[in-house]
Amino acid sequence: MPLPIRRYPKKARFLSNGWVLIALITSLLVALPLLVIFPEVFVSGDETWRHILHRLIPSYALNTLLLMAGVAALTFLMGVSTAWLVTLYDFPGRRFFQWALILPISIPAYILGFTWAGILDYTSPVYVFLRNHFGVDTGPYLLFNILSLPGAILVLSLSLYPYVYLITRAYFMKQSASLLEVAASLGRKPMQAFFSAALPLARPAIVAGISLALMEVLNDYGLARYYGVDTFTTGIFTAWFAFGNASAAMKLSAYLMVLVLALILLERYQRGQMRYEVVGSHYRPPGIRRLRGLRQAAALGLCLLPLLPGFIFPLSMLFHWSLQTAAQVLDIRFWELIRNSFLLALAASAVVVIVSLFIAFTVRSFPGRLVRALARIATLGYALPGAVVAIGIMVPFLWLDGRLAAAMPGLGVALSGTWFALVYAYMVRFLAVGYHSMESGMAGLSHSMDEASRSLGHTNLNTLRKVILPLMKAPVLSATLLVFIDVLKELPLTLILRPFNFDTLAIRAFEYASDERVAEAAPAALIIVLVGIVPAFLLNRMMGGKTVLHS
Amino acid sequence: MNTLEIKNLHKKFPGTQAYAVRDFSLEVARGEIMALLGESGCGKTTILRMIAGFETPTRGEILLNGEVVSSDRLFVEPGKRGVGIVFQDYALFPHKTVWENICFGLFRHGREERSEKAVAIIQLAGLQGLEQRYPHQLSGGQKQRVALARALAPEPGIILFDEPFSNLDSMRKTQMREDIRDIIRKSGATAVFVTHDTRDVLAIADRVAVIRDGVNLQTGPPGEVYAHPTNPYVARFFGKTNLMRGVIAEGGYQTPIGFIPADLPLPASMKEVMLSIRPGHFEPAGEEEGCFCGRIKRRSFLGEYLEVVCAVKGPGGQETEVVIHAPPGHDCDSGICHFRYRGDRHPGVMG
Repeated sequence: MPLPIRRYPKKARFLSNGWVLIALITSLLVALPLLVIFPEVFVSGDETWRHILHRLIPSYALNTLLLMAGVAALTFLMGVSTAWLVTLYDFPGRRFFQWALILPISIPAYILGFTWAGILDYTSPVYVFLRNHFGVDTGPYLLFNILSLPGAILVLSLSLYPYVYLITRAYFMKQSASLLEVAASLGRKPMQAFFSAALPLARPAIVAGISLALMEVLNDYGLARYYGVDTFTTGIFTAWFAFGNASAAMKLSAYLMVLVLALILLERYQRGQMRYEVVGSHYRPPGIRRLRGLRQAAALGLCLLPLLPGFIFPLSMLFHWSLQTAAQVLDIRFWELIRNSFLLALAASAVVVIVSLFIAFTVRSFPGRLVRALARIATLGYALPGAVVAIGIMVPFLWLDGRLAAAMPGLGVALSGTWFALVYAYMVRFLAVGYHSMESGMAGLSHSMDEASRSLGHTNLNTLRKVILPLMKAPVLSATLLVFIDVLKELPLTLILRPFNFDTLAIRAFEYASDERVAEAAPAALIIVLVGIVPAFLLNRMMGGKTVLHS
Repeated sequence: MNTLEIKNLHKKFPGTQAYAVRDFSLEVARGEIMALLGESGCGKTTILRMIAGFETPTRGEILLNGEVVSSDRLFVEPGKRGVGIVFQDYALFPHKTVWENICFGLFRHGREERSEKAVAIIQLAGLQGLEQRYPHQLSGGQKQRVALARALAPEPGIILFDEPFSNLDSMRKTQMREDIRDIIRKSGATAVFVTHDTRDVLAIADRVAVIRDGVNLQTGPPGEVYAHPTNPYVARFFGKTNLMRGVIAEGGYQTPIGFIPADLPLPASMKEVMLSIRPGHFEPAGEEEGCFCGRIKRRSFLGEYLEVVCAVKGPGGQETEVVIHAPPGHDCDSGICHFRYRGDRHPGVMG
């Protein structure tokens, strides 16, 4: 059967490759905010900037660093101790805690923050109850004023320690029993073995977890603003909204980026030559020691320590408040809010899934240095705080809108403050989430299937559509869910880029809470938390068994 | 016209020093079954992948049915080459049934034609009744045949196999070799397969190319390559052999163990050659004239024969180890073995 043989001149093949072109465009789109913001470091500022530089930056820097130090210490304590307990000791409820300890990740820091502020407030149902029945009176706040730097550290740690817990647990589970047995045979008690063998070995994993948590600290806007802690991120908002000074906001963003970069480099540096080694064939799961009596109670207590204030108690309060205010809050506008949020999250996750599927398949089909570099750039956004991404997109979009309006009067705003800008920004920020799902999903598929399909005459696009995609249901679903909840709870980026008069659940919850109406904020917050529990389970499964860290 | 022609093919992977394939040339005639034989890492799979179009050659040309598909200036995509390929891991699509797998490459045909072709190929491959099964419900041999049927369905000019029998247990292998050969013959396709197992080659190949370090050492029918290797490596690759130097003499060769008779016409320019004498070319004998005598060093019973290693003192006084085959019941108790060269056999002669 004579096939029409099309010939391709050898040289032109790579340049005319649509796949590589898509990867190139995507990485340029992701790099745009970076390219916009970074040069601003070298531009001298105006009067406002000098005011910010001399009056505000020292306190921004101090607060940010203190927050980071505090969260690093607390997430380390909470995450590592619980990870160690549930992997190596047996006690009542161990299986429950193994997955339950991850649940606090489903409550965004700003929601946890205003929930606790509400609980400890003078008028909170808890305080009222304790005051009336037990005569507890600790002044205007129950226990202490949580709206402070220490309070912010505590709340951030409670919502972020699961990062450290998950990665460290995965590492402890991978460590072969023989390592600890060697330590035991050399006369070390389990606790000593922990400090002398397990902890140093797990250091890269622990630091990776902590730097993820710190990345979230730098990203946070809602909690810092609510608790009155001025950081770089809240500074960007002040410069943008209060001073209306784009240049100052960009400069602050650039400083924040330098901080992120330093964090990444520090993490890389400490990892050094250490690699997350693949478990060999001689792997045996670590033996599990049974705890008895007092030790049992201590283990139980240690696991409840982050779980009660990080999830169970605040969630109960959110339920309580929601029931109280449901009748009044759940009006037609609330449904609109839900529709907005879900549609936006769905649109963003669809874009992320499609783009990351394309890029992962491009890397799979054309594994060259250039393509890998492009994929790296395209997944850079996960490290950029939402506010930075937002400013980096808003500034060029406003400029473009100005040009467009001049050229075509009556067009109005075509870019800035549209869904397009929002979805674009979400793609920049969350593309890495989708990409890692796709990459690890495709890694499990034999390359000879692609080649079989190509040798049978199918194009790359058809190969992706007919062979790869049907086998990627699980990774596609998990990427969709993870991005969906990330968008649903996202605050700083949405606040800057949202269309006029456009609200999401996250924004509404935050605004209610900021108006001292925590109870009214509860229903919206509750929806975000409940939806967030699903991907938390997913993360738990992904980081549970044999999955090796993406690094 | 040859179905496949490879001219001076070179391949160097980026970041490596040595060539994976060096100056490799080959011609495969229509309907021929060609084997590429070599150890793992010798470059045979790379050659196969270049024929299929999954790798670009560094230099050299590949022609299919007289048309250039790969050269310094041209590269035809795998799907446009009319090449079918059966992978070592079969690469069946796990989410598609046998029927859908086989129809996958027939998308250019109309609905009815597609059905006809699929039915015909299923018949040919003996897969009737398995059409609605999924790959995970098939045995290894069935998977193999589905993979072959899928590759044959679009009627490619040539079909390539990557280690077709390595995933099957030895009991199945023999049967599978027969089956595959029959299917290829009936379909009239030209086939090239890659293997490291000489038994595959001897069983089904019309010709074989022995490859080492990316170089084609010898090409020819398996029987001829077995009997007349042109290279010590080739001789050893096809099983145990005694390699020894031979000085050309009247009516045979003078070797370190003594005189070996041979009546082959010898190139006049040669004085000394390398001989490859298979263990089966020797047989035990009495203490007659022209016999060799050796001290038995080891022996192992290998089922159909006894393999005896003995040290033979040659005319020069030096000892040479020789492997011979003896009948299973041969008496070795004396520790001495007398044997002679079988007159009906010919030693392999290398320059």
